[in-house]
Amino acid sequence: MSLPILSIARRRAFPPRTSRFTAPFWESLAGGALTTTACARCEKLTFPPKPICPHCWSSDVRWIELSAKGLLYAATVIHAAPAIFSDEAPIPVCVVDLAEGLRIATRLLVNPDAPLPALDTPVEIVVLAYEDGPLFAARPIPAA
Amino acid sequence: MAEVAIIGTAALPVGKHQSPPGSDLQVLEHEVMARLVTEAVTDAGLSKEDVEALVFAQCRPYTLQKYFSTFMAHYLRLPCPGVVMEVLGNGMTGGYAFDRAADEVRLGRAKVALALGINFETAISAAEHANSSMRATGDVDFHTPFGFTPISWYAMDAARYIHDHGSSREALAAVAVKNRAHAALNPIAQFRKPITLADVLGQPQIVSPLGLFEVPPRGDGAVCLVLASEAVAKATGRPYVLIRGRGYHHEGAHQISEIPNDMTAFLAPQTAGAAAYADAGVTAADMDLAEIYAPCTIVEVLASEALGLAPRGRGAQAAVDGETRLGGRIPICTSGGLQSRGHPSYVTPLYSVFELAEQLRGRAGDRQVANARLAVTSCELGNYNAALVHVLEAKS
Repeated sequence: MSLPILSIARRRAFPPRTSRFTAPFWESLAGGALTTTACARCEKLTFPPKPICPHCWSSDVRWIELSAKGLLYAATVIHAAPAIFSDEAPIPVCVVDLAEGLRIATRLLVNPDAPLPALDTPVEIVVLAYEDGPLFAARPIPAA
Repeated sequence: MAEVAIIGTAALPVGKHQSPPGSDLQVLEHEVMARLVTEAVTDAGLSKEDVEALVFAQCRPYTLQKYFSTFMAHYLRLPCPGVVMEVLGNGMTGGYAFDRAADEVRLGRAKVALALGINFETAISAAEHANSSMRATGDVDFHTPFGFTPISWYAMDAARYIHDHGSSREALAAVAVKNRAHAALNPIAQFRKPITLADVLGQPQIVSPLGLFEVPPRGDGAVCLVLASEAVAKATGRPYVLIRGRGYHHEGAHQISEIPNDMTAFLAPQTAGAAAYADAGVTAADMDLAEIYAPCTIVEVLASEALGLAPRGRGAQAAVDGETRLGGRIPICTSGGLQSRGHPSYVTPLYSVFELAEQLRGRAGDRQVANARLAVTSCELGNYNAALVHVLEAKS
């Protein structure tokens, strides 16, 4: 099932680099899936994806798709942004604990002028489709 | 293995010293550094010929002269049997310089070694500087594209700490008020005008919930510390400071652990602090004061808890209750800390040792901690993912 894909009418301020190894991550993300690598030997996950397992150093890793749901562990709004990001400030960002037991850091899609959501609020990952490629972000799961 | 002592110090008042580009007259880093070297060596009661090693904190990229350490060996015409080098480790840079210089003495490669450095950066705007510093405190491909800045991680620590421990922004802000009161008594502090809690809470937000007075200002600074074997220290006949214990730990994570943990528990200073206390044969309760590398108020709170100076979850309240103020149970950052003494980042840990050396030699004037005998200092990498801790002792 595809993640929500939100079109952003601008280019990424600081585009991530793509390697031969990470290309599948960014291609999957553009297609609406959050993926990472799992170790075939110790079965542990890592994020970001890596060609070696950081837990046991095996190079036998495979791609898996993540549920892209979790809890908001921490958040802030960056008012004093680096020059590269100045036209995007204030910038809400966050740390999310994904359901699979992985901690990631990303943008938080909320009104930066409103109080931040309470910590431990359920969040979902969405795809941000910029003109030059994808990023991802977290947002509170809309009430059903 | 030789015991290592701090026997001489000199520091530039923290502030704006770097010349704007294009100024007719420029302040040159090596001229400032050379003056401090002569002042520190004089303070130690030694002479040029005694100095046998130089360990520098690396300069900011905005310092024109590269290979600053070897250039300075030339500028000072100082042949050295011990190392001449510069080290780099983000906010721990000055700490590594101190630690590495101490090693030269401990290993017997030098009887006297200088730990020194100069950090000039204020001619570069904060927003331009952040274009570089954001690449130091995160994964450039998986964090930096979102806009994280170095202090944004600490702001998230603050949010989580308030959530987990029932603390508040007001309690954290008490740390900034306390540090400014200390800085008011420190002639080398960058900001010395006393402030109130209302002043702190009224500042513009920088990284919520932290406002301008709860995050570090930018500043220029320079420090020179003279380290020597205890035999040399004793021969001077002057009070000195012994490095009594040392601990280091890197938790194998950068900014956040990908395996969820208690982000505000600060495992690295817990571990390094315990090692340093054990090395010194003391406990946290034996400390008379502490000088902590803490860019934001929340970091002082978390590091003080990790170092055993306040119970878990009670560090902010300790500031509210005056326990960490001069005259309190355990004065923390009597220099004014990074918010008010100032934060010329690559040499900030050298300023921490400078302050403790003043206190432990009874030279701290109006901010003197009475009968200060034992003190602890820490510095860090990332979101305190690594910590270097030293326990220092007054000797006379």
